[in-house]
Amino acid sequence: MERRAFIRLLGLSAVFHHWLLTDLFAAGGPVVAVAEGKDHAQLARNAIAALGGMGRFVKKGDVVVVKPNMGWDRTPEQGANTNPLVVRAVVEEALRAGAKKVKVFDRTCNDERRCYASCGIPAALKGMKKVEVKYMDSDRYRKVPIRGGVLSEWELYDEVLKADVFINVPVAKHHGLTRLTLGLKNVMGVMGGNRGSIHKNIDGALADVNSVVKSHLVVVDATRVLVAHGPQGGALGDVRVLNKVIASTDIVAADAYATTLFGLKPKDISVTVAAAKRGLGEMDLKKVKIVKA
Amino acid sequence: MKKTTPARLSQLLFLALFFALFVQTEYRGNDTISAAVNSFFRTDPLVLATYLAAVRSFTWLLLPALLVVVFTLLLGRFFCGWICPLGTILDLVTGKIRKRAPLAVLKGKLKYWLLLPLLSLALFNINLAGVLDPIAILLRTLTFFLYPLMGDTVRRGWTELYHLMGDRRDYLEPAYGVLRDQLLPFRETFYPLAFLSALMFLGIVFLERYERRNWCRNLCPLGTLLGILARLSPLGRMPADLCPDCKACRTVCPTSFDREILQRDECILCMDCLRSCRFARVKFRFRFGERSVQPYLPERRVLLGGLASGFFLSGFFRFRRPEAAAGMLRPPGVRDEAEFLKKCVRCGECMKVCLKSALYPAVMETGGAGLFTPVVIPRLGYCEYNCTLCGQVCPTAAIPNLSAADKKRAVIGKAVFDKNHCLPFARRTNCIVCEEHCPIPQKAIRSERVQELDLQGRRITVQRPYVVEELCNGCGICENVCPLEGKAGIMVFAVKDRSPLKGEAGKGDTEDPYGVGGS
Repeated sequence: MERRAFIRLLGLSAVFHHWLLTDLFAAGGPVVAVAEGKDHAQLARNAIAALGGMGRFVKKGDVVVVKPNMGWDRTPEQGANTNPLVVRAVVEEALRAGAKKVKVFDRTCNDERRCYASCGIPAALKGMKKVEVKYMDSDRYRKVPIRGGVLSEWELYDEVLKADVFINVPVAKHHGLTRLTLGLKNVMGVMGGNRGSIHKNIDGALADVNSVVKSHLVVVDATRVLVAHGPQGGALGDVRVLNKVIASTDIVAADAYATTLFGLKPKDISVTVAAAKRGLGEMDLKKVKIVKA
Repeated sequence: MKKTTPARLSQLLFLALFFALFVQTEYRGNDTISAAVNSFFRTDPLVLATYLAAVRSFTWLLLPALLVVVFTLLLGRFFCGWICPLGTILDLVTGKIRKRAPLAVLKGKLKYWLLLPLLSLALFNINLAGVLDPIAILLRTLTFFLYPLMGDTVRRGWTELYHLMGDRRDYLEPAYGVLRDQLLPFRETFYPLAFLSALMFLGIVFLERYERRNWCRNLCPLGTLLGILARLSPLGRMPADLCPDCKACRTVCPTSFDREILQRDECILCMDCLRSCRFARVKFRFRFGERSVQPYLPERRVLLGGLASGFFLSGFFRFRRPEAAAGMLRPPGVRDEAEFLKKCVRCGECMKVCLKSALYPAVMETGGAGLFTPVVIPRLGYCEYNCTLCGQVCPTAAIPNLSAADKKRAVIGKAVFDKNHCLPFARRTNCIVCEEHCPIPQKAIRSERVQELDLQGRRITVQRPYVVEELCNGCGICENVCPLEGKAGIMVFAVKDRSPLKGEAGKGDTEDPYGVGGS
């Protein structure tokens, strides 16, 4: 589905009943690609290829934002941040598809200098041409009106709003409040202001933000996942090596599938449920086409 | 500025080194800082003297200061004329300041009345030397006042450019990037006492109106201490007094020749008199076994008075507001408050280097004895779990230089929930931002799911947080990130027993001692 058509459809969704919309999606049927193996970079490439290749999302001359999770001062082995190999593979694919520029950043929770150094992502991207890895710049947040259920407006990162393509590359892991943090929650990394204050109604707030910041492609890193003491972890005993990467254009479907890797059902994650209700995607895995990549 | 002399060259080199090390005292991508501006304090005999008096043991960290003492006994006050960065700055600006008559009030024994009580206070466990140490005065001016001012000015200019140019500003990014990464502070931190710090420095510059090196000659406790040592030095100027037919030295000499005879304890060995003597009479010679003709200062009266005043004053600095003491958190690894106060130089380096701007100079919450010492203010910045920088740059190990593993276990304080503010208790809504951010791998903040009625009477499930005290190291990230405005719903309080957390952080899985299931 074309992006414009998709947005138009969303606009219409306010008019129609949500079940009608769900049925509409079912007709097309979102695809979730799942790749498994030891070569983590190859997993990312395979998963994207199974969706039809990066050329479907990135056109020549596009400015692409790749948004991994690099929020914590933790090493890749600790599973709190996105695997650098997966991020690099996504960036390479975007460049190969003709991107003019690929920007990689995250609003970190610990000190950004330490997070960027420890997570290994800037190091993995070092020296690549047309790739920009910067700390987020407090000047560049812009207040955006949100016609959502919870937030009426929020400061969002200008470079994301201006980008042609937004690729969301979360790491799948445990979270103390939302049980899991996946693609929908990873978008918090482009929010300015007092982000913590949305926790009191996080399901609706995340649906709000995701309705403004659309992920054109979601690549969920489940190579190493935290199963407890998330989202920050720290003990290797809480990390499971799953060697999986999941990709989809449907953020809710991607999150729903990733949830099953933790032995949970999509409906257990209220963030997913709220987003599906808002019409941001399909959480019923029976209506999702799962492709082994 | 005068022509370049060896002394001037040395001064400029050390000043440049001082600035270079100052800029270097910041996290720039490495877990360790190899060379920091603390080197200057390690060569500082005043720091050494008060450390010895207060702590009553020696530390190898201060070996360079011991060497300076030895060389001062041999050569005299070379430190003041060749090394001291504050003295250099005074020499550089003094030419621009028109002179009036010297202030009589500063003459005489005032400097001993500063130095002796400082030393004596140290003997009675109040080490205030850093408040008046010239290098500390300079460093605090830079750290608390000039550096944030510079960073803020440049950064605001950069922001203004964005409003003017928008994304076209990116073309200037490479140039700004070099400035930002190599010179500017990473973020501006505004400190209390910034103006007091700047005023002390500006006051010293102001004193140049009355005579050259006014501070160095008449007040500086480090200079006075070095002067006492310099009296024993065998290196002396010949002739020791003004020649009756010339007296040009009176105007050439930056410090000591306003009296007829050279004051050994004020000569800073700049050698200007040697270079400018028209008759080539002036020589500097080693002469052993010669008794000084000067009366020995301080006199017995000043000596005893200074020591006694230190004893009496030491009581006055002990007042503390008890409620402030509860929130008085020391940097990680500081376990004993009294021990810390004996060692801390108040140089401000830990605050300069602190990754998350968690450290601030104490104003009065620690009493007069703690002026300028570092305290953690979690609401402004927290102690980053993997960072060990403050211990690395502390010149006297008042903040111990701990390994990363030990630092994670070092206890700053303990977090306590305020249920009147904390959202899940007070408003019955979910939050758990503190638990999310708690860096302890086993989580010192956990939560339990409870069924209760919300404020409208509906049955809801809320996650209520609690602190596992045995695991909390008091880093303060919870208080820092608490989304409540103003006062946080969780706060870190000082504790007397700051013994390190048990077990190795990051290994093993500590069971929840309260037996409540985690989230």
